[in-house]
Amino acid sequence: MERMEKSAVPADLNVMKKNDLRLIAALVILAAAAFGGVMLYARLSTKEPEAVVYLEGEEKGRYPLSENITIEIRQENGNCNILQIKDGKADMIEASCPDKVCVRQHPVSRQGESLVCLPNQAVVEIQNGQEAEIDTSTN
Amino acid sequence: MKKIYRVFILAAVLTFCAGFALLQYQGQRLERYQAQFFDCFDTVTTITGYAKSQEDFSQKVGLLQEKLMFYHKLYDIYHTYDGMNNIKNINDAAGKEVVKVEPEIIELLKLGRDMYEKTGGEVQIAYGSVLSLWHKYRQEGIEHPDQAELPPQEELNRRAKHTNMEKMILDEKASTVYLSDKEMSLDVGSIGKGYAVSRLAEYAREIGMEHVLISVGGNVCAVGGKADGTPWNVGVENPDSNSSQPYMCSVELENQSIVTSGDYQRYYEVEHVRYCHIIDPDTNMPPDYFSSVSVQTKDSGQADALSTALFNMEYKVGLSLVERLPDVEAMWIGKDGKIRCSSGFKCNEKK
Repeated sequence: MERMEKSAVPADLNVMKKNDLRLIAALVILAAAAFGGVMLYARLSTKEPEAVVYLEGEEKGRYPLSENITIEIRQENGNCNILQIKDGKADMIEASCPDKVCVRQHPVSRQGESLVCLPNQAVVEIQNGQEAEIDTSTN
Repeated sequence: MKKIYRVFILAAVLTFCAGFALLQYQGQRLERYQAQFFDCFDTVTTITGYAKSQEDFSQKVGLLQEKLMFYHKLYDIYHTYDGMNNIKNINDAAGKEVVKVEPEIIELLKLGRDMYEKTGGEVQIAYGSVLSLWHKYRQEGIEHPDQAELPPQEELNRRAKHTNMEKMILDEKASTVYLSDKEMSLDVGSIGKGYAVSRLAEYAREIGMEHVLISVGGNVCAVGGKADGTPWNVGVENPDSNSSQPYMCSVELENQSIVTSGDYQRYYEVEHVRYCHIIDPDTNMPPDYFSSVSVQTKDSGQADALSTALFNMEYKVGLSLVERLPDVEAMWIGKDGKIRCSSGFKCNEKK
């Protein structure tokens, strides 16, 4: 037993040295490439949080939450909603509809949250937002 | 050379195994999706769930939407539809004839009668004659705020005489309904949505959705928990819309339902006083006890009915009712924003 080990270990070390180095080099290059790829993918797929405006289900515009801006969502039939983006949150501040339910909604900023004006069929949805702690709400 | 060859074979096999495992994992991993639609019960429906793909999720949401639309039509009191008798057909036939209906209407009306008895009449589906007058004045008041008026008390009292639940005659075997007072009418607004959501949750299970959160205008029902095994978090909305805090607290929900009745979303104002859409059968006027009441229990229909009933009751009376009912919990938000809860209500402070 002892004899076998003695003879096997130095022999392996000598023979494998070059190949080992090649293998290690190959693995390092591969790992670096994979890592770089993952980072690049993550960078590309992390988008800025934005408020997306839909009218009757059709996308009408995207506005980053990072910019303070007031948007007039005017429709051909005269219906109008005013969306305000301020301090990273989207809020409906005015609506031409009589019930004003959308104006009473709290501002939204988290992934999947939305402001809805049913009479005007206007929807503002948050995309690429921070994950919400709340899955839905009851009112 | 032989050894390096072996190493390469080993590396190739390992890579293959890892790749295969990753593919398997990707194939089975459930992604979270959300869908919204706007055509049922005059409100926003939000379905949150997990599926293997967007197509799979959309296909199931399509089935749910179809089912909810069926209930929407059945429980509609303003329109009739071809090929079905709904609540409006029953109301139109009051004092005239018996109406043959779907079993889903009989079940709903039985729930209405049951909840009427359990709550001492604080939730009333045979209250349509009074509610329709309020509806008319509220709609006019919302359209023309400067001319907003209250319905005359005299007319309210006269109409309140035609709200006798015993005159709603159900024949379960024949699946028919008859209103024997021609001036009475049904308004299932206080239970219809909740009952439909409870049936929708059942249907979601049938079509293989194990983790779904359904919200029809804030009438929330959870099928299972989230895919990772944790419960859903549902925020109870802050009645003060000017507050920077959108939720008063959050509630954990798993195979349960939570429904809120409040005065802060649907209302109109007459001379700067707010009159909400819920009417107390004791006074024929909107009650003034709370900003909102939320009820958490298994059945969404019961939660819906109870939240309306509690909104119409003093806190002490309501609390004793809640404590009497098994597996029912409630949370009251006062006009001053103060929160009161029943003994088993678990309210998590909002971070």
